[in-house]
Amino acid sequence: MTKKWWSKFFFLIAVTVISILYILPTFTKVGSSEKSVYPFSKKINLGLDLQGGLYLVMGVDFNKVFKEIADRQLSSITERFKDKTIALTSPIIKVDGVPQDDPRLAFGFQAPQKQAVKDLLAKEFPNLRITDEKNDSIELGLSNEFHNDIREKTLNQSIEVIRNRIDEFGVSEPQISSQGTDRVVVELPGIKDVDRAKDLIGRTAKLEFKIVDETAMTGTNVMQLVADLEKEKNIKFGVGSDLKFSDYVKALNEAAKGKIPEGTEIAFEGKTDKNSNQRAPILLKSKAEVTGNDLQDAQVTFNQETRRPEVAFELNAKGAVGFEKLTGDNIGKRLAIVLDGVVHSAPNINSKIGARGVITNGRGGYDEAIKESKDLAIVLRAGALPAQLELMEQRVVGPSLGADSVAKGAFASMIGILAVFLLTAVYYRFAGLIAVASLLMNVVLVLAILVWLEATLTLPGIAGIALTVGIAVDSNVVIYERIREELGLGKAIHAAVEAGFGKAFKTILDANVANGIAAIILMIYGSGPVKGFAVTMIVGIVTTIFTAVFVCRVLFDLYLRKMEDKNATTLSI
Amino acid sequence: MFHIINPHSNIDFVGKRKIWIGLSVAMIVLTFFLFFTKGLNYGIDFTGGAEVKVKVPSSWDISKVRTTLEKGKLTGMKILQIGDVSESTFMIRAQDEGKNLNLVVKQMTDSLSTDLKAGEFEIKSADIVGPSAGGLLRKNGFLAMFYAMLSILLYVAIRFDFRFAPGAVMALFHDSIIVIGIFIITQKEFDLTVLAAVLALIGYSNNDTIIVYDRIREMMKMNPTLNIEETVNQSVNQTLGRTIMTSLATFVSVAMLWAFGGHVLEPFAFTLMIGLVIGTYSSIFIASSMVIVLSHYQDNQKKAGKHKKRREVKLSPEAHIGL
Repeated sequence: MTKKWWSKFFFLIAVTVISILYILPTFTKVGSSEKSVYPFSKKINLGLDLQGGLYLVMGVDFNKVFKEIADRQLSSITERFKDKTIALTSPIIKVDGVPQDDPRLAFGFQAPQKQAVKDLLAKEFPNLRITDEKNDSIELGLSNEFHNDIREKTLNQSIEVIRNRIDEFGVSEPQISSQGTDRVVVELPGIKDVDRAKDLIGRTAKLEFKIVDETAMTGTNVMQLVADLEKEKNIKFGVGSDLKFSDYVKALNEAAKGKIPEGTEIAFEGKTDKNSNQRAPILLKSKAEVTGNDLQDAQVTFNQETRRPEVAFELNAKGAVGFEKLTGDNIGKRLAIVLDGVVHSAPNINSKIGARGVITNGRGGYDEAIKESKDLAIVLRAGALPAQLELMEQRVVGPSLGADSVAKGAFASMIGILAVFLLTAVYYRFAGLIAVASLLMNVVLVLAILVWLEATLTLPGIAGIALTVGIAVDSNVVIYERIREELGLGKAIHAAVEAGFGKAFKTILDANVANGIAAIILMIYGSGPVKGFAVTMIVGIVTTIFTAVFVCRVLFDLYLRKMEDKNATTLSI
Repeated sequence: MFHIINPHSNIDFVGKRKIWIGLSVAMIVLTFFLFFTKGLNYGIDFTGGAEVKVKVPSSWDISKVRTTLEKGKLTGMKILQIGDVSESTFMIRAQDEGKNLNLVVKQMTDSLSTDLKAGEFEIKSADIVGPSAGGLLRKNGFLAMFYAMLSILLYVAIRFDFRFAPGAVMALFHDSIIVIGIFIITQKEFDLTVLAAVLALIGYSNNDTIIVYDRIREMMKMNPTLNIEETVNQSVNQTLGRTIMTSLATFVSVAMLWAFGGHVLEPFAFTLMIGLVIGTYSSIFIASSMVIVLSHYQDNQKKAGKHKKRREVKLSPEAHIGL
């Protein structure tokens, strides 16, 4: 055999070995323990349809948010115009007769002041667009840019709010993602209490500001107390406990009565601490002086001097009064920002804050600061402009159906693959066996790539593997039929094989690319299990081209050399 | 060598192309007729509704399930036994009629719990699709079909020739329409998974067509003087073994999924199975016939174009001056 062939052959062996090593953790216990020296630990995830669980699609109700924002814009317009001594008449929000997601702000004024009105609007309210104007009145809508910005922010905050609550269930791999521009998909594998989960996810966000009590107890003291109470009363959360997180916190606080000052409560941070791998407890004053209802807006801005990101927020008139008192009385203390009972962060109060305030982020690198500021702004907005979620789609798969599906799907796929092998081997005899070897290699490669991508395997995905094999045979058939034809034309075996592989390549490529296009479209439009099928198909198409053109060829060359050594003039094909 | 098809076969496929095209057109027209009269039996994915699959004790039958539900004030439910009888699993469905779907699922479990203890029945799955989600899923599904065909049209047009592309897409259109037609006739449920299978078919059924086209293209280069009918017919004959063998292999793997994959995979595999048969038929008979039809059409256009040009030249003022 030539040197070139040997290098190809070694490449093939290397790919095979690596692929097999890669898929072992998925099917065996190899590499599952933390101390294992096994180099690969990635696994294929099982989709919800296979492991059981809850799949929810929640629609975000933007219309209410838009109306609320229009409302707030209108009141700040009224205020600003009062400052400029321009009298506005009958300011209203119009929702009837206009698109639902495009509420209008309308008001009248004295005709001679029209230019002044328009100038001030253009200067101070760039987020609005003029939809209609008369001599003594004007109608405005939210600008397109602003509109899209609100949509995006609202969607992100809905995802954040749900993520914040999901910890409640201690589900190991919850997935929350956006779908399109107005939906959130929540996937909770292995969850039992479906009704409770749905109720919790659909609830409107609640944001509170509470003072951190560090005078009575230090952080370490609180942590010690929690540890003691957990042991004493046997209150646990996480592995081996049926308690929901909120029940756990409630039980702790119940047990802590008398041990913590009157009017305080124990709450937990949302993030787990890197060192202790636990969520740090914090002692808070129970009474929330200011809530999300009093917040107007929050966004990430950049400090003029330090150029670092910070979060600027705005309160309404009522909130400003409350906040001014709260911050004025507690300078030097920490203010906890609590979303749905979970402490997001607790910045220090540096000075008295009225209607507008800024939260700076002192620690960490620039990228980290950007991320944290963005997260904080999302949390604040979630409280300021809570979006209502509507259940659009729910799919619950019981654990037994999931297990049943895996067993049946895997069995059927195996039988299907074996049947194809048998057909190929019978029809093409020895060359058929070579095809079978390359098909086997194909299956191994598909699995290895799915592991590498950490893809989610669904039931249609399993079917997709069987289908991949069925389709992959196509390529072998195309090559072999071509070789047969060339042999039929009287060519020598070497020339026939050369021509067979050469001429078939373009056909194989064309056929598979067209197939791939359909699979990609399926992936874009499909949801849940169907997406899993599309991913398997795409991976299968790539591996099919590789195995049919490369693997099959390398093996066939070996066979060809053997036959030529024997001076044979026919092939077993 | 085993051969399914004699390699020297010379069956006249294209001579009777009018019959094949006529037959296919008739099936497509019938499908459209049935689509508007009988209609597809859409699953809740597309209509909205609630669907619960529940396993009950083996002594229960459909009427027992129904009376139990009716005791719980749940009437007008569609109840079907699914899977093997030994599994005693039933599918209960409520179409969305302004009902609170969330409540329906809870009511189902509640009314079952009045007659059965906790361990005696098991909710295998519970799906709720809100009406707006149903509409959206249907829209996206048909959009996906449209885009898939459009991109394949473009791909084939770029890789081959505009004489080929419409035939390939018409074959795909033909395949998906007839599969949908079979779903109307059998009134089997048409849901998201079935739609996914139809999309997979659009990609796959194109494989066979491309194999045939590839050969036609090769024949045209090797033998430019041969008339189009003969070129296409020879190409179809030469590739017949491949076409049937490839379809057979895929059919075998899908048939196993259909037979052993359980009731969740059954609709998916069923769609692929019938689609494969129709796809193979359309690759052999329709896609290749379309090449001939379109080729004739283009030739006629060219001839007509030439006549037109000549006439224009005669009528142009320059021509007069020249005279």
